[in-house]
Amino acid sequence: MKVLVTGAGGFLGTHVVERLLAHGYTDIRCLLRDRSKTARLLAVSESYPAAQLEFCYGNLRSPSVCAQAVADVSLVVHLVAGMKGAAAELFADSVVASRNLLDALEARDGIPMAQTRVVLVSSFGVYGVASLRRGTRIDESTPLEAHPELRDTYSHSKLRQEQLFWEYRQKNGFELVVLRPGVIYGPGGGAFSNRVGLQIGPLFFHLGGNNLLPLSYVVNCAEAIALAAAHSDSAGQVYNVHDDVLPTASSYLREYKRHVRKIRSIRLPYFATRILAGLLERYHRRSQGQLPGILTRYKAAAAWGGNWFDNRKLHALGWSPLVSTPDAMARTFEYLRQKDAKLP
Amino acid sequence: MSLKAVIVGCGKIADAHVEELKKIPSAQLCAVCDLEPIMAEQLAVRYGVPRWYSDVAKLLAEEKPDVVHITTPPQSHLALTRVAVAAGCHVFLEKPVALRHRDAEAIVAAVVAGGRKLAVNYWPRFEAPALELRRLYETGVLGDPVHIESSYGYDLAGDFGMALRRDPNHWVRQMPGKLFQNVLDHVINRITPFLADEQPFIHAVAYCGDTSADQSRPDALLDELRVLIRGEHTSAYATFSANARPIGQTLRVYGTRNTAFADFGARTVVLERKQTFPSALGRLFPPFLVAKDYLRQGLKNVNSFSHARFHFFDGMRRLLGDFYSSIENDTPPPLDYAEILRVTSIMERIFDQVYPEVQR
Repeated sequence: MKVLVTGAGGFLGTHVVERLLAHGYTDIRCLLRDRSKTARLLAVSESYPAAQLEFCYGNLRSPSVCAQAVADVSLVVHLVAGMKGAAAELFADSVVASRNLLDALEARDGIPMAQTRVVLVSSFGVYGVASLRRGTRIDESTPLEAHPELRDTYSHSKLRQEQLFWEYRQKNGFELVVLRPGVIYGPGGGAFSNRVGLQIGPLFFHLGGNNLLPLSYVVNCAEAIALAAAHSDSAGQVYNVHDDVLPTASSYLREYKRHVRKIRSIRLPYFATRILAGLLERYHRRSQGQLPGILTRYKAAAAWGGNWFDNRKLHALGWSPLVSTPDAMARTFEYLRQKDAKLP
Repeated sequence: MSLKAVIVGCGKIADAHVEELKKIPSAQLCAVCDLEPIMAEQLAVRYGVPRWYSDVAKLLAEEKPDVVHITTPPQSHLALTRVAVAAGCHVFLEKPVALRHRDAEAIVAAVVAGGRKLAVNYWPRFEAPALELRRLYETGVLGDPVHIESSYGYDLAGDFGMALRRDPNHWVRQMPGKLFQNVLDHVINRITPFLADEQPFIHAVAYCGDTSADQSRPDALLDELRVLIRGEHTSAYATFSANARPIGQTLRVYGTRNTAFADFGARTVVLERKQTFPSALGRLFPPFLVAKDYLRQGLKNVNSFSHARFHFFDGMRRLLGDFYSSIENDTPPPLDYAEILRVTSIMERIFDQVYPEVQR
């Protein structure tokens, strides 16, 4: 079976390729935007003598790249998404690119759609958590965001991307598996999710307090994706992906300060964040956007409202973390410490 | 009277058009359009625009707008302008005006022949520092312009720059002047108000200043540009740099009476006057006088901020306000068509020199 991994050169992608190889997939086509990532994937494949990696270069915004990428593949693991930049870029990279990929799958000859499986890596951002009560447990039955326009554009674009996949699945009948990771972290990733707080100028505003962080160590997340891709029961299912032992935002920040570097942070309790968000929202409206509306009460509730998380459905597939949370955090902080030491 | 507006092209810059249109009391944004329906949909949903389309003919037929904002890449500007004018619409056009000067001439001709109005989004020309410089010139404070220096810094790691770097087929790379063509309007249109010549002498030099860039790659970009412009009585120097730090935009106008310096990032304009103190005192006091000027500018900025007139695209709001007002009152549009064409002509002559291999 030939597998296509889109975004194979990314932070998560390299680990997904490795876990797919570990699960016995040998014939993998890696779609990369950046040719320089090829060597890293070849290095990963060296531990798997049967591995046959094939490389396809380009951007999924191009229909011709999509057509080339999907030829003869029975399993597509779709990781590509816009992570940062202007809203139009996020939608182009996450939604337009996905639509092109799905159109290419639909248009190709050979493997019927019913025999094609698509694994989409979505996001926790698609859940409509802003209106939930503090402490609500988030699982796969939590309603999706009803007002994506009030959220950050990343979450909005990811929701639209996922909706698109369900629409095409309804139309074409392929097997769709959706994974919704929380905050993916690890060596190669960033230091802080917004769930911990926001860096504004020289100060770090610690807004997450004692909320649980739905962290997913990149290796554990990749294992979940590979497992769901392979499992016969996963078709048509959604899985939340996060680790078992979750730190709080404050403990994560404390460990970061201890192991990586000292940063100046100010802790704002949730009620103060809500008041500040309300004031900024009002000022944003009254001043017609003189200061950007990055902090609103709705966004504050979504990011720092405080939820519990449930990954029992993922466990039912047979998943368990390959790396424990203390090990994962230690590896991540060591990477961040070394990265920080290299800065001028 | 409320003028019905539509936006054609839902890329990054369309956000700014929506944001600034909301501030124009006489404008009502009723629909957006993009060939890619997902892009039209996302813009409409994010800003609560009532309707969205992926077919411009359908948009014009159903919405019957008064003004069409064309925010597509310049490759389609001429065709879309003709379609909009044929539908009886005024046109607010995003820069760059067109791929080639002759297309810009055709755009102006189409608008004039159709009896409609045109404005190009030369918003930095309408920022407070630019307006202040023009006031100093028009009231005679500067005297006659001797030389102008227009400098423009660009961040290739920013939102716009990253989109370009990541995509080897980006539309900016397909233009005759590539990266420079996407920003040079703003450099040159700050010079042209002070330069009367139709066909000044131009000498342009471009190179890649990013030492980490692989110049053997087919998608390698030139990212540094220097242009010397020489008119009959006035000269100018234009600088575009993607590598100089900090990134800034400045304009210095040397006049026969005084010299003025505008910093568009800090939104300040200071006059460099002849100092009148004798001997060593003439070297002692000027820094304090300059400090006083900047303090005054800072207070002015505080005033603008407190009155919510300190937005990034404040110049665009002003330009849009003037354009919509010119439609309502049937007065001349805020930008002279001849000057728009002078900018496109100068730009084309620059690109001829830095990319001589590009067929025109």
